[in-house]
Amino acid sequence: MSAPTAFELYVLSIALLVPVVTYSLVKYQWNQPLRNGPGFFSGVEVPAGFYEGPGRSWLKGYHAMLAALYLVWVVALGAIVVSRRWDMTPWWAGGFALVFAPAMLGFQAWTRHKLGMDPPVRPVALALESRRLGDYISWPLEALMVALVGFSWWLLLRNAGAHFDWLPPLQLTWVALGLLPGKIVVVRSSSPLPTEHTEEHYQYQDAERRNWLRVWGAFGWLFVVILMAMALERAWSVSRMVPALQWLILGVALAAWGYQVFVHDRGSRQLASMARDLRPAGSWKTPFRSASRMSRPYLIWCTIWCGGTFAFILYPLCKLRF
Amino acid sequence: MFLTLQENDKRPIYQQITDGIKDLIARGELREGMTLPSVRQVAGDLGVNLNTVAVAYRQLQDEGFVTVRHGAGATISSRSPHPMDQAELYKPLRTALTQLVLSGLTGRKIVEAVREQLALLQQKGGTR
Repeated sequence: MSAPTAFELYVLSIALLVPVVTYSLVKYQWNQPLRNGPGFFSGVEVPAGFYEGPGRSWLKGYHAMLAALYLVWVVALGAIVVSRRWDMTPWWAGGFALVFAPAMLGFQAWTRHKLGMDPPVRPVALALESRRLGDYISWPLEALMVALVGFSWWLLLRNAGAHFDWLPPLQLTWVALGLLPGKIVVVRSSSPLPTEHTEEHYQYQDAERRNWLRVWGAFGWLFVVILMAMALERAWSVSRMVPALQWLILGVALAAWGYQVFVHDRGSRQLASMARDLRPAGSWKTPFRSASRMSRPYLIWCTIWCGGTFAFILYPLCKLRF
Repeated sequence: MFLTLQENDKRPIYQQITDGIKDLIARGELREGMTLPSVRQVAGDLGVNLNTVAVAYRQLQDEGFVTVRHGAGATISSRSPHPMDQAELYKPLRTALTQLVLSGLTGRKIVEAVREQLALLQQKGGTR
């Protein structure tokens, strides 16, 4: 048995990503604006009959944007296959996220600007339950993650040669460890609770919080496994001659990735069914709080983490020769 | 357990929080030893200033309804707050009754209203 080649890894990544991203498009993205029922469009409250009138063109516009995004993704993949530039696969995957996330956020901001400029003020309910970080975040697991990242860096610093490219381990560390402040922010943040169906809204918020923490946890572990694999390969040169070890590491990385996809899908289905008849955050405001969907700390963390991640994706792309 | 804050309530926010928590204590929904969320959490959830919630908690502490300990947060004290003399205790009742009389309600109607409100208060977990 020989060790997996870079080509095989790239093809495997494409073979895994294409069905998952397509499934996500069909199952969740296509009808995302309608997830709260006919009374809302993309989280903004709309009048009755909206979908018989202007709602049609709004929905068409959304679908056109989505189709354009996925078309770019397919064309880029086609270009990789035709040109056999398999080394572009990580940038294809990362680059899609780079375009997709701002486009979706931009569409939501535009929708709110046009349709939900003045959301109604409603009474607000306050949950008198304490949210402790320890109830949501497993500190021993987080400590283990930090220890493994530290250990990987220790191995790399001892064994990396003069020509070692430090960018990939930096990227992996940023993505994995940068999630911890995000998890803390997610536990501490909340959206206002309406006074009708308060218990259901509260349960939904809690489920959403736990879902994000699970998905991010699995996502972080995937990157820690890849970093460790990189460090072990450098440190233990024997491992290059033991393909079984490399297959094992690949298996662990695939398991982490598969777990993340599973958790994300299960959580998305659960949240979609819970959100059906609930009033989305941002569609109303309280007497004391504006109709924001993101808290300020979450926005700050998101900007820093996503900005850093995008910079890590863009930096090597700028140096690539086509 | 939830506390509701209305958009057209003329009381200051801290007073609404204080009164809401007292109401839950009176109904027996908040029992001795139960922990209240931190000032930071309440302020964040409602979108109000930290000081506003701190003032509400301090008032509850001063009146003996909660005990605030550093690190442990605010916990509900026993249902016998600081002792007050009868005159002091009846003062808000007198104010409310004056208001009801001035609004034209008969004595019988007022007694009915008081009974109704008392029944609501004693209805454990009746409203949210």
